[in-house]
Amino acid sequence: MGGELGTRVAQVLEERDDVAEIIGVDFVPPRRRLHRSEFHRIDPLQRERLADFVASVAPEAVVHVGVYEPYARLDPRAAQQYTEAATVTALGAAARAGSLRRIVVRSGIEIYGRGRGRPAVPDEHAPVAPTTAFGHSCLQVEAIASAVGRAQHAPVTMVRLAPVVGSHVPSPLGRLLRLPVVPVPALADPAFALVAPEDAARALAGALGTDHSGPLNVVGPGAASPWQAVRLGGRVPFPVLSAGWQVAYRIAELAGAPIPSHVVELLAKGRAADGARAVELLALGSLRSTLEICVELFEWATVTHLRATAAAA
Amino acid sequence: MNPVRTVRLTFGLDDDRIGKAESPLAALRRRLDGRYPRDPFGLDPHLQDMVSPLFSLVARVEVHGGEHIPARGPALLVSNRGVGLLEPAALGVAVRQACGRRLRIVGTPDMPVLGDAFRSVGGIPAYPSDLAAVLRAGHLAAVPLGPTWLRTGAGTPPLELLLAATGFPVVPVAVVPGGPLGLPLRPWRIVVGPAIVTAGDPDDPLEAAELAEAARSGVRGLISGDTSRAERREA
Repeated sequence: MGGELGTRVAQVLEERDDVAEIIGVDFVPPRRRLHRSEFHRIDPLQRERLADFVASVAPEAVVHVGVYEPYARLDPRAAQQYTEAATVTALGAAARAGSLRRIVVRSGIEIYGRGRGRPAVPDEHAPVAPTTAFGHSCLQVEAIASAVGRAQHAPVTMVRLAPVVGSHVPSPLGRLLRLPVVPVPALADPAFALVAPEDAARALAGALGTDHSGPLNVVGPGAASPWQAVRLGGRVPFPVLSAGWQVAYRIAELAGAPIPSHVVELLAKGRAADGARAVELLALGSLRSTLEICVELFEWATVTHLRATAAAA
Repeated sequence: MNPVRTVRLTFGLDDDRIGKAESPLAALRRRLDGRYPRDPFGLDPHLQDMVSPLFSLVARVEVHGGEHIPARGPALLVSNRGVGLLEPAALGVAVRQACGRRLRIVGTPDMPVLGDAFRSVGGIPAYPSDLAAVLRAGHLAAVPLGPTWLRTGAGTPPLELLLAATGFPVVPVAVVPGGPLGLPLRPWRIVVGPAIVTAGDPDDPLEAAELAEAARSGVRGLISGDTSRAERREA
């Protein structure tokens, strides 16, 4: 509940009358104001403490958003470690409590992998064959959630999100695209799709209200390409050939925007998925398009300096 | 105010209907500013509008039965082909002429650089999942039958792809070369037949087999009908 996505999911759930209590756990505090949610700050690596707390709550439904993208807030090793700890401990403890009836987990379209022999726009029936560390993390989360769901006879929805990008979202892709000079593939300009954080939150919260069991792709309509996204933001594209990515990686890291393997893959090979099923099942009629997300990424709210009034003084 | 605030989603271009030609300067400015839409399959409608006049020069066409191509909504065109890229190019030109829509041609090689280039002008790889997604998105797609070396008949239908298209209208099309070996002596003749509509059970392989046979015989009938018409004209 402490990340941008988790906080937004809690906000959406707060508006629903059929949700009696919302209790969240994370290792950082929520990023927005929450009114009737209860937040507990527990580090997922404190497995025993987290398990005891979840067991004491005995949740009926779990929306598991604790799937950490490498270099969003944590380095790749820590992201993998936190994802595994949060998933195994929270879902395991919720299952042992005995009242679990519904599971929704955040996953990613990175799970399909990219490369020869894989469809460019996979639907939910496409085989999962991740080719990056984050994709493998998503696969592991889905496998654990499925196993828990089977044991508890609870339906499990895996919400496979396109990269979540927004001007206030910590995301390695967003950070990279906002550098003044952005590395782009020299010989390709593949299409990629994004999803806005508020749409991702709507999808995760909406999945809780259905009895759908299985994966759902949630993808913003349309697509963008690396060269196009860079130019939309008025940045300078820097063409990179295969071996040059190592150099680009080092320079971007020094500039404060390290590039994880799944972002390199997105830039070089593209990333999209067919989200028609989720739109229909979760009634996600007005999703923000990928191009709109790109345009908004480069917008920053103007800082308005307020003068001290006499009353305030 | 940041100028990108006024930018709209599609920048005035449609990924299903063809757009108006722009002046080279306006087109260049648009490319440099990134103000053009892309679709998840890789199509770049702006680039396609820029290069399509070249295709029209290479493949002059004469369309018969163009009214059978749906003016909107998804449909799969199934056509004969020989070897090479001329038939798909001629078919794309014919669809633009007949109904002003863009055509996604199945069979793009799944490889870097060349594959990306084909995708940006409307190609998609021959994966059933991609074809189903294109049709679900409401676009027109074209699947060629297996090649017939001398362009004399309808080749083998691709069963897996047709299985992905069950439930969508399937339109048989005959693509007849303008000269021997596809030489552009006369315009290519594109003959479009009425749509075959199936019940739409994607899990029924028998239905796909029946659809494949219906599409192949539809294309064969259009080719033989066109040949006899041409022979009557010559007589």
